[in-house]
Parts: sequence; structure tokens; C-alpha cells
Amino acid sequence: MEDMWIKFGQTVICGILLGGMYSLIAIGMTLIMGVMKIVNLAHGALVMVGMYVTYVCATYYGIDPYIGMFIAMPVLFLLGCLIQKYMINRLVEVDSILPENQVLLTVGIMLVLTEVIRLIFNSDYRSVTTSYSSEAIYIGAMSISVPLVIGFIIAMAFTFLLHMFLTNTDLGKSIRATAQDRDAAVYMGVNSSKITMITFGLGAALAAAGGSLLLPMFYLFPDVGHLFTAKSFIITILGGLGSTWGAAIGGLIIGLAESLGATYISMGYKDVVGLVIFLLVLLFLPGGIRSLVKR
Amino acid sequence: MLKVADLDVAYKDVQVLWDITFEVNEGEFVALLGANGAGKTTTLNAISGMLNVKKGKIEFLGQDITKMPGYKIAELGIIHVPEGRRLFPEMTVRENLEMGSLFPEAKAKRKETMKKIFEQFPILEEKKNKEAGTLSGGQQQMLALGRGLMALPKLLILDEPSLGLAPVLVTQIFNNIKEINNEGVTVLQVEQNVVQTLKMCHRAYVLENGRIYSQGTGEELLNDEHIKEAYLGI
Repeated sequence: MEDMWIKFGQTVICGILLGGMYSLIAIGMTLIMGVMKIVNLAHGALVMVGMYVTYVCATYYGIDPYIGMFIAMPVLFLLGCLIQKYMINRLVEVDSILPENQVLLTVGIMLVLTEVIRLIFNSDYRSVTTSYSSEAIYIGAMSISVPLVIGFIIAMAFTFLLHMFLTNTDLGKSIRATAQDRDAAVYMGVNSSKITMITFGLGAALAAAGGSLLLPMFYLFPDVGHLFTAKSFIITILGGLGSTWGAAIGGLIIGLAESLGATYISMGYKDVVGLVIFLLVLLFLPGGIRSLVKR
Repeated sequence: MLKVADLDVAYKDVQVLWDITFEVNEGEFVALLGANGAGKTTTLNAISGMLNVKKGKIEFLGQDITKMPGYKIAELGIIHVPEGRRLFPEMTVRENLEMGSLFPEAKAKRKETMKKIFEQFPILEEKKNKEAGTLSGGQQQMLALGRGLMALPKLLILDEPSLGLAPVLVTQIFNNIKEINNEGVTVLQVEQNVVQTLKMCHRAYVLENGRIYSQGTGEELLNDEHIKEAYLGI
């Protein structure tokens, strides 16, 4: 009987901790969705590129992944800005391309990023091992892996910092204003193309941060991005499109659901649990978590 | 202050404005009147850089702004309070006002200006931490005006501030606008509420089917036979 409770407690805690890192990735996607009104299907590929940057730092230069992420983030910020400015923005300027078709470009970007990485690193599974990779903290009889705990704490810190940035600085408020009414923001003197570029960069940097935090726990290969695109898409739908807090909570729910699925159904079916939740949300709560909180 | 000369505007192949020429002098209160679809809002959007001009020239304080991007035009001091208010619905009243004062000059005076706006519209102070989307129509219009004023505009462009408001609120908003103009802000206002606007403005232009049909002082137009027939129903 007691064993059962230990197993359950451990599953719940691990799930929430993992979910914190999913949240960070999904918040990046939801920010981009809010401002640009498109689903960024290259988001997982950006996570993957960020993971490779951290991987290279760790393997070739001996930089700890938790420090390497501070190199991966600015690199991905820059990459995100360049993609937005020189590729996506070009498309937005053409009137005859419908906005809903702009999403196709992100599929193309995803393919190019994945194949370029495959060209450089080939398809081998790689992993980063650190001295603490296999260490665990014990709470009573429950053991919680150390990278999960550190990852969760850093992810929550970033979420908090992002929240402060969006609510307390003029730049952050301009991002929210552009997401709520782009034309009105321009009337107030917001340079909307600059804001869009910064938002895409910021989303990519958050993707890199989330990926780097997951690196000590996940195998790394060029196609790992698809997994993260699917997860963050499910989370943003669950949270309500464009809602930052919705994505944060949605991430925790998906992490928890996967963890419970892996423990009580089967390891192989853990992603199915997320997809089932996705379908249920679409059927019964199309507005996501955000629609529950709103007015 | 603002000079619009021979302005033509087209949406794709459909031309909607022909040879629009008018000017607004410093300190004036000028109205653009006309029926639905006459081209009033299009004219305003062309001035604030939201659409491409086919032909013609727009000058502000001696500077050519015809092809300037919208955010730079705002920085020059032309602030557009759009039709339907277009607030940021999920931001608080205070945040909406802050969004009006992004440029260094306005930002330096942010607190001061906000205090003045709260004096003019006490209801906004009361609701300063409420989301803009929860305000009533009249309060939203006050907030839209206040957000525009936060930028310390040189020229305030108002697109149908009376839209959807109860008559008593229309009078109040119009009084507020008159007050703003008396304090030295130049106003260019688009309205369908012809009588009240003509009584209040210095000069007005009447648009019909994308062309300027007539112009004059408020009083002149109030006595114009065509205007009487078409807009006042007399």
C-alpha cells in the first residue's frame, strides 16, 4: 500500500518538474503565435538547434549544459531574428499570399534546419553526461533526479523573468499591445516589424533554453525537433492560443499526464496521453485554459 | 500644419479617393464630414501611414510624410484615435495609457500627463487597474482619447469618436474634444454626426464618393442648401 503511494508521489512530482521545461518551450511558441498570428511549425527545430549548440559547448569545450544554455540562447535569438526578418517578413509583405499559408514557410524552415544539422552531425543519437546526470534527491522514500529539479527551477525563473519583462517594460508592453491589436500599436508609434522580429528571436531563445535544460535527460538527434513541435503545439492549444500563462499551466499538465501515462499505462504510450488530452480539449474546451479564467 | 494635395488612394484596383486636397492650420479644429463609404476613414489612414498612396502628397510641418511608415508619423506628433477605439483589451487602463507615451519626450512627462488625464476623466482613475475590455463604450472612448493625449500630440486625428455612444455621452465626449482643442491641440475629426460637429468646429470639408464636395466654416455649411438636404434632413 505504502509503495503505491510512493510510486504515485514520485510520478506526480517528476511529471510536474518535466512539465516546467515543456512550459518554457511552449511559451516561446505562444509568444510568436500571439504577435504573428501563425503557428510556428519550425519551433521544435529551433529547440533542436539550441540543444546542438549546448551539446557542442559541452562535448567540445567542456562547458556545463546549464552554462552552455546562456550561449545557445543568444545564438538562437539571433537566428530567430534573421529568420523573421529575411524570410517570414518577406512573405508577410506579399498581399497575394494568405496569412494562413505563411505557416507553410515555417515547415520549410523546419526541414532546412533539420537537414543542415543532419549534414553536420549525421543522424547518430547523442547525449550529454554530466557528473550529476544520474544523481537523485530523496524526499522520504521518493527519489527525484537532480537534472529535473535544476531544470524546473531554471525554467520557472525564466518564466517569471519573462512575465516581469512583458508587464513592466515598454518593450514588453509593446509586444503585448502588438499581439492584441497590431494597427492600434502602430498608431501609438510602435514599430511593429521590429517588435515582430524581437518576438521571434525571444521565442527562439526560450526554445533553446528549454531544449538545453532537457539535454541531460533526452537523446539528441536531428529529428528530435518534431517531438517538441508537437508537444508545444498541444500545450498552446491546451493553454489557449497566444496566452503565456495558459502555456505555462498547460506545460505542467502535459508533463504530469505523460508521467502518469508512462508509469501506469506504458512507457511507449506516454505521448498518446498528450494527444488524447489534445483531442478532449479541442472537443470540450476549444478556447483552452485561458477561456476558463477570462471574465 | 498639415497639407494634403491631390491625394489618390486605391485598394488594389478599386480607386476610392480622387484629388483630395485640404489643409489643417495650427490650433484649428477641422472636421471631415460625409456619408458611409465617402472615404473619410481612408483619408485618415492615408495620413497616418497605414496604406499606400497612389498619387499626391501629404506634408506635415513642412516635411513630406507621404511614404513614411506609420510609427514614424506618430513620432512626428500625428496621433490617430481610430474608429471603434481599438484599445488593447487585455491590458489595464493604466497600461493602455502608458502605451500612448512611448516616445522619449512623452515618456519623460508620463506621470504628469496621466495625472492631467485622470483630472479630465475621473472615471479612468477609478478604473485604472481594470482591463480595458471590461469598460463601457463611453469609458472606452474616454480611454482612447486619453491614450492619444498621452503622446502629447501636435495633431490629434479622431475617427468617429461618437460612434455607438448614447446622445448624452456624445455631448460629453464632444465637450472633452473642444476642451482639448482649446488647450492648443490641433484636431482633425471625422464624423457622421453632422450638426453637432459643424456647430463646434472651425472649418469643415464634405466628402462625397471619394471627392471633396464642398468646404467652409461650420456656420457656412450649416446654412448650405445641399448639406441641409443631404445630411440634416431639412
